[in-house]
Amino acid sequence: MTRPSDVKPREGEQPGTPSSAIDAGSLLPEMRFTISPEIVEEYLASIDADRSLYSLDGRAIAPPNVLFVYQLAVLYRKYPPIQGIILTEQTWDFHAPIWADETTEIVADGKIVERFEKRGKQFMRWSADFRSSNGTKLATSTNTMYLPE
Amino acid sequence: MQATEHHLQRNVSQETIDRYGRINGDNDIIHYDQDYALKRGFRGTLAHGLMVMGYACELAAQAHGERWFRGGSIHVKWVDPVCPGDVVAVDLDGEGNVRAAVGEELVLVGTARGRA
Repeated sequence: MTRPSDVKPREGEQPGTPSSAIDAGSLLPEMRFTISPEIVEEYLASIDADRSLYSLDGRAIAPPNVLFVYQLAVLYRKYPPIQGIILTEQTWDFHAPIWADETTEIVADGKIVERFEKRGKQFMRWSADFRSSNGTKLATSTNTMYLPE
Repeated sequence: MQATEHHLQRNVSQETIDRYGRINGDNDIIHYDQDYALKRGFRGTLAHGLMVMGYACELAAQAHGERWFRGGSIHVKWVDPVCPGDVVAVDLDGEGNVRAAVGEELVLVGTARGRA
């Protein structure tokens, strides 16, 4: 079982990355983690989810959005965060279920799409891909965030 | 927007934010430090945007079932923060438009659709 805090650099624990140091086009290296039934249960509780919604073909599945709590680790492992980052826009596409009655090893990587200025503020857009260790494509995401100076 | 087909409501407190923060594994003081959040010009600490987006995903799971788990897509913009004490109302209509509001103030807009 991988808790997000096991793989995600936390704000304030190391020097954060200024927006000027983030390069458009740079690749975010592969990250491996596991989602266990315990993680799924804790995530369900964290959003007050209705557990009855999450079954398929007679098996328990994770809300696909359980990946949300791992997403930023893909970015922060290369670019440790500064305090005060604010998410502004996201897109997620979910391709295949994550079973909740077993532990799934997941491989994620990503890319910095662009960095841009809007009304004098710094923003960046980046993407992340998630697949199971057997190669099944699970989800893709694109994230836009505001980077405080 | 068409008549709401799916709706949920969540009470957000600092405890709610802290609980999400434990699984999220972050240490961003914008979520936990009231004084810092006020200095940044917010009403209070901010709920995690992805927590609120998770509420929208819950509605999509209700609405689409398997078509959500195998081929669902969601796009959101956060337009205003959610702070402790807020009651967030989230709606998903039959065309896939999703919105979350605190009182009359929109906090999130977007779309959430199952596989076509």
